[in-house]
Amino acid sequence: MPRPQARTITFTIDGLEVQAPENAMLVDAAKHGDVEIPVFCYEPKLGQPVGACRMCLVEIEGIPKLQTGCSTPVKDGMVVHTQSERVKEAQNAVVEFLLINHPLDCPVCDKGGECPLQDITFGWGKGTSRFIEPKRHFVKPLELSPTIAIDRERCILCYRCVRFSQEISEDYQLVLQERGAHSYVSTFDGHPYVAPFSGNIVELCPVGALTSRAYRFRARPWDIEDSGSVCTLCPAQCNVTLTVRDERVMRVLARQHPEVDDGWLCDRGRFAYPRLGGDERVSEPLLRDGGELRPVSWERALEEAAAGLKRAGARTGALVGGQATNEEGFLLARLMREGLDSPHIDSRVAGTLPLELQRELGDPSLQAHVSDLEFAHAVLLLDTEPIEDAAILDLRLRKGVRRHGMKLVRASSEELLNKQAAGELVKTLKAAGEEIVVLWHERLTAGPKGAEAARALLDLATTLSLAGAENSGLLEIPAQSNGRGLREAGVLPNASPGLGAPADTGNAAEGLDALGIADALIKGELSAVYLLGVDPLEDSSSLPVWSRSHSPWEQQRPLWEQALERASTVVAHATFLTEGIREHANVVLPAGAYAEKEGTIVHPDGRIQRLRPAVARLGSTRAEWQVLAELAERIGLDLEVRNGMAASQQLFDAVPFYAGLTLEEIGGKGIRWAQRETAAGVASS
Amino acid sequence: MSALRRPIPRYAHGSRVPPGWDEAADLTKEPSPVPDPATTEVPATLREEIEGHMALYPDSRSATLPALEAAQRVHGWCSPEAIEQVACVMRLTPAYLVSVASFYDMLETSPVGKHSVYVCTNISCSLRGADELYGAVRTAAGDDPEFNVRAFECLGACDIAPMASVDGAYVGPLSIEDVPRLLDDVRAGREVLPEKQLARRPCADAEASA
Amino acid sequence: MKLLFDRIDEPGLNTLPVYEARGGYESLRKALAMPPEAVLNELEASGLRGRGGAGFAMGKKVSFLPKGAMDKYLVCNADESEPGTFKDRELMQKSPHMLIEGLIIASYAAGANRSFIYIRGEYVLQADMLDAALHEAREQGYVGENILASGHSLSLVVHRGAGAYICGEETGLLDSLEGKRGNPRLKPPFPANQGLYQGPTLINNVETLATVPTIMRMGGDQYAKLGVETSTGTKLVSVSGHVQRPGNYEIELGIPSREIIYGLAGGPPEGREVKCWFPGGSSSPVLTADELDVPYDFNSLAEVRSMLGSGAIIVVDDSTPILDVALKVAKFYRHESCGKCTPCREGTNWTVKMLERIDSGEATPMDLEIMASVQEHIMGNCLCVLGDAMAMPISSMIVKFREEFEAHMQAAQARARADLGVADAALTAADALSAEGAAAHA
Repeated sequence: MPRPQARTITFTIDGLEVQAPENAMLVDAAKHGDVEIPVFCYEPKLGQPVGACRMCLVEIEGIPKLQTGCSTPVKDGMVVHTQSERVKEAQNAVVEFLLINHPLDCPVCDKGGECPLQDITFGWGKGTSRFIEPKRHFVKPLELSPTIAIDRERCILCYRCVRFSQEISEDYQLVLQERGAHSYVSTFDGHPYVAPFSGNIVELCPVGALTSRAYRFRARPWDIEDSGSVCTLCPAQCNVTLTVRDERVMRVLARQHPEVDDGWLCDRGRFAYPRLGGDERVSEPLLRDGGELRPVSWERALEEAAAGLKRAGARTGALVGGQATNEEGFLLARLMREGLDSPHIDSRVAGTLPLELQRELGDPSLQAHVSDLEFAHAVLLLDTEPIEDAAILDLRLRKGVRRHGMKLVRASSEELLNKQAAGELVKTLKAAGEEIVVLWHERLTAGPKGAEAARALLDLATTLSLAGAENSGLLEIPAQSNGRGLREAGVLPNASPGLGAPADTGNAAEGLDALGIADALIKGELSAVYLLGVDPLEDSSSLPVWSRSHSPWEQQRPLWEQALERASTVVAHATFLTEGIREHANVVLPAGAYAEKEGTIVHPDGRIQRLRPAVARLGSTRAEWQVLAELAERIGLDLEVRNGMAASQQLFDAVPFYAGLTLEEIGGKGIRWAQRETAAGVASS
Repeated sequence: MSALRRPIPRYAHGSRVPPGWDEAADLTKEPSPVPDPATTEVPATLREEIEGHMALYPDSRSATLPALEAAQRVHGWCSPEAIEQVACVMRLTPAYLVSVASFYDMLETSPVGKHSVYVCTNISCSLRGADELYGAVRTAAGDDPEFNVRAFECLGACDIAPMASVDGAYVGPLSIEDVPRLLDDVRAGREVLPEKQLARRPCADAEASA
Repeated sequence: MKLLFDRIDEPGLNTLPVYEARGGYESLRKALAMPPEAVLNELEASGLRGRGGAGFAMGKKVSFLPKGAMDKYLVCNADESEPGTFKDRELMQKSPHMLIEGLIIASYAAGANRSFIYIRGEYVLQADMLDAALHEAREQGYVGENILASGHSLSLVVHRGAGAYICGEETGLLDSLEGKRGNPRLKPPFPANQGLYQGPTLINNVETLATVPTIMRMGGDQYAKLGVETSTGTKLVSVSGHVQRPGNYEIELGIPSREIIYGLAGGPPEGREVKCWFPGGSSSPVLTADELDVPYDFNSLAEVRSMLGSGAIIVVDDSTPILDVALKVAKFYRHESCGKCTPCREGTNWTVKMLERIDSGEATPMDLEIMASVQEHIMGNCLCVLGDAMAMPISSMIVKFREEFEAHMQAAQARARADLGVADAALTAADALSAEGAAAHA
């Protein structure tokens, strides 16, 4: 459906003629003239304004009563005053009213220093109060969930958190109870507010009523620095701001990107971070000695790793996990192919897919944007449950359904492969409209019928004429976070960087895919394996619910248990001593978490995003590119990377459709390579 | 205690004391989504009544108030169990329903006596002695668990002030002397103060019946 | 002249045979024989203004609904909760068919096919009466598909509320009818464009709709001759408080208020004088004994800075302290504030606390100023009119009874001093407070 487009109009605010998009709410329109209208309840992300807090009252010529700026669309020629005596008196009054039941415990409040209530009181309040009655006092803070504490004294009843629960995540768990001055935010009968996106209410809260239990009293705003990055914990790759204090990530906040996350963040992305900087991390090289992993020097660890890999030579396999950057995958692929003459490297969980199909599926004209999920007439979920596979997309789909009447259709690849069912599916989709997005998961291409399913998907795209169409296309959720980037970087057994033919790498042979590697290890055809940021035996079920994730390797676990058992050399480049690594690795090389890394990753819709180090690497951990380069050197290959940026440059040079890309161009918001001139690379190569 | 230190009454009668302010969530509990019909038992008659209400409206959610009222009739109050049953039939979350229930004065979110006596203490009734009447009813009912005596906002019967709504039936004008008989009538299951029932009162406008 | 209350106590009037025997549903037949626009013209010609409180021209309200085929709704506001108001109760209980007939005619004029009567949950008897009458009307074919072969169809549901004053506010009512908390909505959009289930919705009070059959019978022009120019017709007035004959009276708009309070309701008890009176429910600014001769109509009451509101006169005689009245009113609005917008939620709460402090001798004259200023800050700044509904009467009381407030304050302070056993009579409560504070810090 057509996306909203507004013509520009001119209106007057505080005597200033300002241009703004027509029908923008006054609060937003005022910003075009650098005029700030204070708000508490207004948050466009939450949908329609509610006009509850009354903080944004402004005077509009021709209207006798003051109007709420958050709900009044700007019109051409409107004359607005935000500085008149009447407006000031109303603003003073609202601040005074809000502070009646607010405890003003700013010195011990986590929000202090970054609190809209503080800022607005300072900027638009009178500075005094005439309220001398005793304030109400209650037990505080109280637990609202394992991750969130609630302080009902501080609550100003702005409705943001309950609107989030009811209108954004649509879980209807967090509600207001009672009414009037007795209203309070609560759940049903003492049940905790546990939901996949509950943490967003902490960020939405304009006062210190909802705080993160993990962040409580950890830092004040003047102790911290913000650092923009991208969460790599799932393929959704939400943009985040990391709150850093003393070289530790104390908090993760959403960093709004309309084409990625729409300003939201899931609880795993938000609350799993303590684990990323925590004590369980591997912080130094380890070597198996007498059955035990013991700390050793880097020299020793690299020597041992190199020796093991050299011994196996072409009989080495490599598996790359979704946390790895494009550069890491790219360098390891070079090490494997050029240093060890082994093509057995894979990052796909689903197994080999013919290169031709991969290229067709990646055709730039077929790629949907994330925002298309909101504006398409229909979205087909194929073999995927977004809440499990890329959580944040769940909110986007809900938004599409709720606000734009988008039709959501679910189907499996089995239906796709059944002629009759597929026909019905096409009918259903077409009935909803022309603009259709197919959101599908890598698992569609798994197994013996994988290639057939991929072909059927492409046929479906043709039937629905998705190529080049507005608000339409295919969007694949890879099984691993940076699945798309790793494939484009050539971390595949049957492709060179840029989905080129394997011959481009100088080794025309097709390698074994993940399952093949496991199988070959069991059979003794391969003897060594390099695990880059991956443990196929990982089991997160013992973790708290908000940091738990389904390992994409779950189904292959039995096979890998045998494979790792049989392998004579297991080199693990890892952040954590998870099950498989603890049991089977001969050498463990410490790797960084995303907050420590530099490099690039690729979003499922082809947006190249940049990771930037927010904190120092833990312990003696070294940059991954450096470790790979040193390892390669010991094997007899000079990768010619002397710094992280050089690794990126090498990658950009190697992938045809990244040609000419620079880190600056990627910047803080990323860039979809499909929209660059070099995009022709894929289909034509 | 000095007069100045006397606590200022925060929640006088007529206002319900917020019960949940000091309560934390119980972290051992699971979240509470829309109840699973397979595991939530709903009395057949209640289900039937709720579904009947739901069918009356273009959007079945409109049946929330009648459904909660029905559940309250069955359970005595909008207990968590009652709320869960309504939630199960209406396919809503219990939190949504408790949010609605706690908004309305006639829906009880804590256990109460079976017989409701709402004494109107709003302006017109209080001008004619409603506060004293309310005190008298409270005292007379004592801690009899059968009664739910509440001071209520204007019940829309100022012509019979001071008055009360006894299990939904309006009676008035009441004097303090009427109170014992009022409670006795309720206990005995009789019509309450028949001569003071609003249902039988003629219009005050003399010409109306001329 | 009795139109709505004509032989209201006739036995069995609540049943269809008796209602029909006196010409009931003839107006409906007449209306259905006319094109809807003609019915609308009659309504506009009658000059009928809404009887619920706002006094908006009924015909105009109907005309605001968009034309064309779409789901349109008619909602009858029977959530009669304004303190002092009980007129709709008597109508619904004794002549439910009159309301139903008026509602059907209005739905025809507005092109609405679905209608609801939102009746407050406390009115059990009245809701039962309506349900019974609705059943009869449905059986008779007045409600349902293709009414009297006119092609007009209408469904009607009697929806019972559950006790919340705010649901009498039209958008709060709509939210409540949709099964939500009865929070008022932001306007615009107005219900005429986006009301119930987001569809165009006409909302009218019981008395307004019940008047429609009379207008159809008499003709709009004839009806407009009743009353005065800007307030046509008759009005049900609920008189309560300190009067000898409290009750509902049907009057022709524009008669002197004194005639209602003294003539019809008998005035205050022997030996008592009127201290103040609310002309239109507890939300209307109070008037004094000097203002008893104001004609009882919309514009005359607006001219003396009050309002006709729901037509509920509450009389307070000189035996009652004004503070008690103010406190009752303020507490009511605090209890009924939905809590959505700040000035109302906090302002009503604060006002109650200040009034309580005055009553307990812990206030100073400055508090009266603060209280007046708080009312100013509530008025016009809220999401709906509930905040104003408290601020307006409280403001008027402060203006008109300032001396009594001050005297009350002083008397209370004296009592507080006596309780404290303070010897120095000059020591005010506020001084005592700061003295105690200083002592605590020493």
